[in-house]
Amino acid sequence: MQYQSSLDRAGLIELALIKYFGKVDAKDLDAVLDCFHDNAMITVQTAFTVHEGKENIKRMFIDFMGAYKTIIHKDFTCTVDENNGRIVASFIAEMENEDGSWTRLNNTNFWRIRDDKFQEVYIYMSGDNPLT
Amino acid sequence: MADRPYEHYTDFVTKRYFHGVDNYDMDMVLDCFHEDATLTEVTSMTIHQGRDAGIKTMFEAFLGAHSRIWHGNFVHTADTTEESVCSQFSVEVTPKGESEPVRYENCNRFYMKDDKFTSVFIYMSGENLLT
Repeated sequence: MQYQSSLDRAGLIELALIKYFGKVDAKDLDAVLDCFHDNAMITVQTAFTVHEGKENIKRMFIDFMGAYKTIIHKDFTCTVDENNGRIVASFIAEMENEDGSWTRLNNTNFWRIRDDKFQEVYIYMSGDNPLT
Repeated sequence: MADRPYEHYTDFVTKRYFHGVDNYDMDMVLDCFHEDATLTEVTSMTIHQGRDAGIKTMFEAFLGAHSRIWHGNFVHTADTTEESVCSQFSVEVTPKGESEPVRYENCNRFYMKDDKFTSVFIYMSGENLLT
C-alpha cells in the first residue's frame, strides 16, 4: 500500500538510523517502539516471519534485546525515496552471544513510512532469523 | 549527482533488466551491467564477478534450468541522488521437466553509474537458485 509520509530525505534517514537503529543498539525499547504505528507490521521476508501490531513487535524486541549481550548495527548504505516515503538500508548486524561469541549478518531493511513513523518494515537476512 | 528522472531508474530495472531475464534475452540482460560489475546473492554469499565471466555464466545456468521465469509485484525504493534502486518483488520459476512453478519473495539492491549496474545484491526467500 502507498502511504503519505511527512518526512523529507534527512528525516527518513534520521528515523531509520538514529531513532530506530541507534535505540535498538542502546536497548531503549520505548524509543524503538515509538518509531512504529500501533498497527505496524514487521516481516522477516527471508524467513516468512510476520510480527503484526505494536504489542507483537514489542514482544519480539524484548526477546531480541534479551538474547544478546551487545547489539551493533553499522556500515549503513541508504537508498532514499522521499516522494514515496520509503527508505532502504543495507548494513552489518553484529550480536554478542551470552558465551562471548558473535553472530554477524549482512542484512537489508525496507521501511514504508506513514506520516512520521514506520507502517511496514521488511527485513532480508543473510543468515538464520534472530527476530522470532 | 545524477540528472536522470525517477522513472529512468525504475524502468531500467523492470523494462530492461527483468524484461530481459523473463524473456531469456541474454544480450539485453548483460547490457545492463558494466564489464567489471558484481552480482552477489547475499543469503548464500555467492559472488559472481564480471559481466562476461561470472555473471554471464550464472545467467546461462539460470535461464537454461527453467522453462518459465516471471518477476512481478514490484515495489521500488529509487534514489536519483545515489543512483540506486532497491526492489521487492515476487518470482515464479518452473524448473525444466516439471509443471509446477516455485515461488519466491525476493529483493534486489541495484547500484548504478552511467546507466548501467555496477553492483547488484540479491536476497532470496528460499534456496539460492543463482549458483
